[in-house]
Amino acid sequence: MFLKIAGFEFRYQTRQPIFWVAAILFVLLAFGSVASDNIQLGSTSNVHKNAPWVIAQSSLIFAVIYMFVTTAFVANVVVRDDDTGYGPLIYSTRVSKFDYLFGRFTGAYLAAALSFLAVPLGFLLGSVMPWVDRETLGPFMPQAYLFAYFFLALPVLLLSSAIFFALATVTRSMMWAYVGVVGFIILRSIFSLVLNRQGMESAAALWEPNGIAAFGLATRYWTASERNSLLPAIEGYVLWNKLLWLAISFGFLGLAYRLFHFETGKASRKQRRAEKLAVAAQDAPAPEPQAGPLPRPVFNGATARAQLWARTRLDMGQVFKSPAYFVLLALAALLSIVNLWLITDVSLYGGRTYPVTRVMITALNGVFSAMCVIIAIYYSGELVWRERERRTGEIIDATAAPDWAFILPKTLAISLVLVSTFAVSILVAMIIQTIKGYYHYDIGEYLLWWLLPQAIDVILIAILAIFVQAVSPHKFVGWGVMVLWLISSLVLGNLGFEHNLYQYASGPSVPLSDMNGQGHFWIGAYWFRLYWSAFALILLICAYGLWPRGTETRFQPRLRRLPRRLKGPAGVVLALAVAVFVGSGVYVFINTNVWNPYRTHLDDERYQAEYEKTLWRFHDLPEPTITAVKLDVDLYPHAPKVVTRGVYRIENRTGGALTDVHVRFLDRDLQVRALALQGARLKATYGRFNYRIFEFDVPMQPGEARTLSFETVREQRGFKNGGQLLSVVDNGTFLNNFEIAPLLGIDREGLLKDRAKRRKYGLTPELREPKLGDPAAARFSELRRDSDWVNADITLSTVADQTPIAPGYRVSTSVANGRRTSRFVTEAPINHFFSLQSARYAVKTVVQRDVATSVYYDPKHPWNVDRMIKTADAGLAYYDPNFSPYQFRQLRFLEFPAPAGAFAQSFANTVPWSEGLVFIADASSDPSRIDMVTYVGAHELAHQWWGHQVVGADEQGGTMLIETLAQYSALMVMKHMYGPDMIRKFLKYELDSYLRARGGEALEELPLERVENQPYIHYRKGSLVMYRLQDEIGEEAVNRALRKFLHAHAFRPAPYPNALELVNDFRAEAPADKQQLITDLFERITLYDLKTKTAVAKKRPDGRWDVTLTVEAKKLYANGQGKETEAPLVGETVDVGVFTAEPGKKDFSARNVLAMERLPIRSGVQTYVVTVAAKPLFAGIDPYNKRIDRNSSDNDIKVTGA
Amino acid sequence: MLSIKDLTHVYANGVRALDDVSLEVPKGMFGLLGPNGAGKSTLMRSVATLQTPTSGSIRFGDIDVIAQPEALRRTLGYLPQDFGVYPRVSAYDMLDHMAVLKGVADPKARRDTVESLLGQTNLWAVRKKALAGFSGGMRQRFGIAQALIGDPGLIIVDEPTAGLDPEERNRFLNLLAEIGENVVVILSTHIVEDVADLCPAMAIIVDGRIVRQGAPADLMASLKGRIWMKTIDKAELEAARLRYQVISTRLFAGRTVIHVAADTDPGDGFAPVSGGLEDVYFSTLASARKAA
Repeated sequence: MFLKIAGFEFRYQTRQPIFWVAAILFVLLAFGSVASDNIQLGSTSNVHKNAPWVIAQSSLIFAVIYMFVTTAFVANVVVRDDDTGYGPLIYSTRVSKFDYLFGRFTGAYLAAALSFLAVPLGFLLGSVMPWVDRETLGPFMPQAYLFAYFFLALPVLLLSSAIFFALATVTRSMMWAYVGVVGFIILRSIFSLVLNRQGMESAAALWEPNGIAAFGLATRYWTASERNSLLPAIEGYVLWNKLLWLAISFGFLGLAYRLFHFETGKASRKQRRAEKLAVAAQDAPAPEPQAGPLPRPVFNGATARAQLWARTRLDMGQVFKSPAYFVLLALAALLSIVNLWLITDVSLYGGRTYPVTRVMITALNGVFSAMCVIIAIYYSGELVWRERERRTGEIIDATAAPDWAFILPKTLAISLVLVSTFAVSILVAMIIQTIKGYYHYDIGEYLLWWLLPQAIDVILIAILAIFVQAVSPHKFVGWGVMVLWLISSLVLGNLGFEHNLYQYASGPSVPLSDMNGQGHFWIGAYWFRLYWSAFALILLICAYGLWPRGTETRFQPRLRRLPRRLKGPAGVVLALAVAVFVGSGVYVFINTNVWNPYRTHLDDERYQAEYEKTLWRFHDLPEPTITAVKLDVDLYPHAPKVVTRGVYRIENRTGGALTDVHVRFLDRDLQVRALALQGARLKATYGRFNYRIFEFDVPMQPGEARTLSFETVREQRGFKNGGQLLSVVDNGTFLNNFEIAPLLGIDREGLLKDRAKRRKYGLTPELREPKLGDPAAARFSELRRDSDWVNADITLSTVADQTPIAPGYRVSTSVANGRRTSRFVTEAPINHFFSLQSARYAVKTVVQRDVATSVYYDPKHPWNVDRMIKTADAGLAYYDPNFSPYQFRQLRFLEFPAPAGAFAQSFANTVPWSEGLVFIADASSDPSRIDMVTYVGAHELAHQWWGHQVVGADEQGGTMLIETLAQYSALMVMKHMYGPDMIRKFLKYELDSYLRARGGEALEELPLERVENQPYIHYRKGSLVMYRLQDEIGEEAVNRALRKFLHAHAFRPAPYPNALELVNDFRAEAPADKQQLITDLFERITLYDLKTKTAVAKKRPDGRWDVTLTVEAKKLYANGQGKETEAPLVGETVDVGVFTAEPGKKDFSARNVLAMERLPIRSGVQTYVVTVAAKPLFAGIDPYNKRIDRNSSDNDIKVTGA
Repeated sequence: MLSIKDLTHVYANGVRALDDVSLEVPKGMFGLLGPNGAGKSTLMRSVATLQTPTSGSIRFGDIDVIAQPEALRRTLGYLPQDFGVYPRVSAYDMLDHMAVLKGVADPKARRDTVESLLGQTNLWAVRKKALAGFSGGMRQRFGIAQALIGDPGLIIVDEPTAGLDPEERNRFLNLLAEIGENVVVILSTHIVEDVADLCPAMAIIVDGRIVRQGAPADLMASLKGRIWMKTIDKAELEAARLRYQVISTRLFAGRTVIHVAADTDPGDGFAPVSGGLEDVYFSTLASARKAA
């Protein structure tokens, strides 16, 4: 019987549309993730699209999304019988409760499982498509598919099936099952909020119901080669998580069995309703007395308004009163809450930021708008088809309601629904702000930056959906068309069809900033909105004309009726709409394609490829060196426009006579109004590439100097389709000289780097930095090939109410004709890299250690100004004595708007910081977090030495000399500020970031001294390497080496130093037994695996405690692809610590350290005995994570026996 | 008053639902009788402006219904054969809504209309209940209530009594009977008693054609002396069908009562009966089918 019921159910489910719809949808999703270049789920250039790790990860994600489908499968297996009325018939048969319930469940679950086979099938199909680049695919590994499907996905499907089956069976209601889905998502979100932080990884791995955390924990540090070849072992959390949740799944099934009863007990809903009516009828008072003849209808404006409002209210009520709306709204709100909550917690270094409105809107943007699009499309279908589905159509259609009284109120209703839905999002965001203790409610910003533009865009989508539904022969066809439209709008852009003039309801994005508001960016966006609104109006009128009033289902008669309906006002409005559509379209086109270039990302790639093909052959040519720069820059922030007049003094330092000079402007759209090289004439112009070659009349002799003068204009007239000019804005302009002034000769900047794309355009497979120690490379500095230290004389003018700032000392400021002009001059040569800023700043200046330290900030963001000044003080206090004297009398931190980027950058005595990074940092609220302001500030300040005193050669390891040393400097400041026992959180953060990023490497991981501008190596690994180095050979020894290095190379011209020279300086300071350490740190990719297996305490007769630690140790070397080989661990020492609290936990401090000894360590298992004075609670090996340890969380464990 | 001329309607699948229908409907109650699928609803919908006929004309007073559907709708009350309701909307709210749509927008006029109709249709007690929970009879009474809003000049009720129990049916027909005589009321039905009880004029429609029309009394008079009845065993039915023009059969106490049409006494135990409307209907049906 069981099998028969299961078989019947299985066949029933596989005949349902949901089965096929889900299967097709998921085949397409999985297929697309492999077969399309433009979708990537965890694959990188080095991780194959069909790598076992990618298949497992994507299967997990798909399985979670599948929850909605499984619910549709299993929730109705019992409810169905109540709805159809078959229930009593079946319950009266002899079938047993077990067979009935679980037969049905098994059948439905198997159908869901069968339909989920779509995912592996999609992957397989995608990976055999002939157009897929073979280099991005690995070998076919059947075990990966089996593992992902049977071990990872099926239990997830079982869990969601069991929970929602139980819920639907017990409550006998589909609605409650879907409410359950929402509840499940809430719980999961709370789970991840609680568990998604450092130290909670293992708890999350066990308790996260879908096994994503467990899988993530097991594979988080996997390198590309591991992701390509391995599956996680079925053990540990991966196994326990599955067993736990399998048990919970069966628990739910058992619960459903216990609580389900055949006899319904309560009468059916219909009966109950009838009984209630009967009761009502009895209790009712006598009917009203009869009135005379009924009032006659009146048809005038008031009636029309009443009809519009009545219809709108009814349609809105139908949405607001439907349970699905609440499910969707709750889902949108919940997902938003998670986003809103997390977004202020995940800034750089895990720092916290204030929940300013701009940040809240960013958090709402993805999730909430997407849910609103779903609401718009779903309810447009519901509303358009409601009368026909509810069979109220004939009554309504036969009334005297005018023809517009159908489509207009429905459009209005869905619009009002959407507006109020967006209003809910604002409420949710403000509640989150309140909970986080932020009370600056900017309703105006919420309305103008969020509700208004978003509501318009989604209403436009709703109108399209209404039109589609009005002409579609079936609601599902209409929805299908809308889904196709959604997919096409995602795919078209990737295929190079990016113009918003044919992407319905789209427009350029409007970057938001507290400093700059919406800037002038909103103008273009609203022109597009006008254009699309006119189009939507055309759609609406067509839908009105074709509206199926009456019982006619054919399209032809409706089309015949169209002209008659368009007579009168409708036709006039239509003509107007067409006029506005065409007119605004023409104006938009002039802006996006005539006044500004329209380019797709494919055009840009092609341009890059052609640039390289045309010009790269010049890269070896000798060029003169720029030694002095005079810039006269006029900023017009409101235009936006920058006019630059400049003069370079160039000198021939090549040792040979120069006949040619290659002058290049990086920005292809920069207008070059004048360009003259003394004693030379233009020989060739590559106009497309803004590249010119001059030939000297008389060759330039070694040591000779000449001048290059230029005038450029950078402006944006009107608005662009995308890629707006972000550096010149109304308030908060931030430019650098590369954007407005020329370079000499060509370098790798701006060329294609991605291997697959280079192959696609027929370029050499890789464009890599010169090898470490390449003598030819030493001629060029890391920063730019044509200059190093220059005298700068910069005159910057801007509007009168803004402050212009550029590197150098301000020698004059004047205001005239509504413009403020300041001149900045250097006293000694500085790096040829200038920032030019202008904004309405508030300024705070403190003179400390003879340096005028200023913060230029937006008055809205005063929170961290004092902390920045303190940071400068701490940095100067450390760097001056330990490295070399600070070379300036001033230091300025300046805020710039978030849309320009979330970063900080160091120019000579000038450090621009993004408003999104540190100016809104909430540094004081949680002392256990990394003090991001001080850490980043100390890093940027350190660049005044590393970058502005010494710059390396343009070759491998160049960024180590700049970024790694800045990281080291900042770490030392933090160590002295917070104490060495508090350094673990920094090291742990850097360690985690480094290990996680290794798997995403696109080319090859290199040892630190050979780093090729790879941030995870020069920042993250660099911090760990340098901290370990100073820990092993002493901070003073490291600083001695750095002083020596600075002394030898600071402010020197070519040849420039390289990483080898610095490593040699370290070697010179290190004793003989640390030479291998330096090899491991700088020349190899070295990893450890240290683990404390047991820590047992025993009280001694003298009252002290002996702690015996059993530890296991291993050292590994990895190659560039992450393949590891074990190396002997000899001659090294390690920290062994005993504590009264766990290192890295919130309240841990130096007081908790009972013992910290440095003891020898070798490969394999070994024991240590440490004697401590007080009762030990935690103990471990390398407790502060000074080594690069592949599993750093098992270093410290609880002490037993105490 | 309502004048239908040469009305033909062909559906997309080729079915000729109305075939050259011409009909004059005077003021008062008019019965349109016909079996299921005869084209009644198509005719009703065409008059109610819900579909445009393939050819022909419909006029109501001065209104050309096909050219000016808006004008007709302003004086139309329509109760379709089968209609649904919005979920979670009460009878009062829905009637109020319908009143607005029918042009009774003034709040006071609307309240008078709604309350009066709720009382008239005996729905006052349940006015705040959701329509979705109404029984068939309650729903039909609601249907007639909404059709009466705004004092219409033309009221179309399509198969209103199908599926009602006898008590509900009575109540409903009483309601219909109360409607003033100055308006045109078309009652389309396949139940002969509905027409017999209420209508001073009627037509019979079969396979899209009007095959008979007139006053029920006249039609019945025309059958005088031509209808004969006999009670037979079931087994004899086939033989009787061959010999006589059997227009109707029904069971009574386990035996079959047959009515046959004949100009003279067929003898053989047949007794004359005074022809009721039912006999008119069945004899018309029988001859129409024979002709087809």
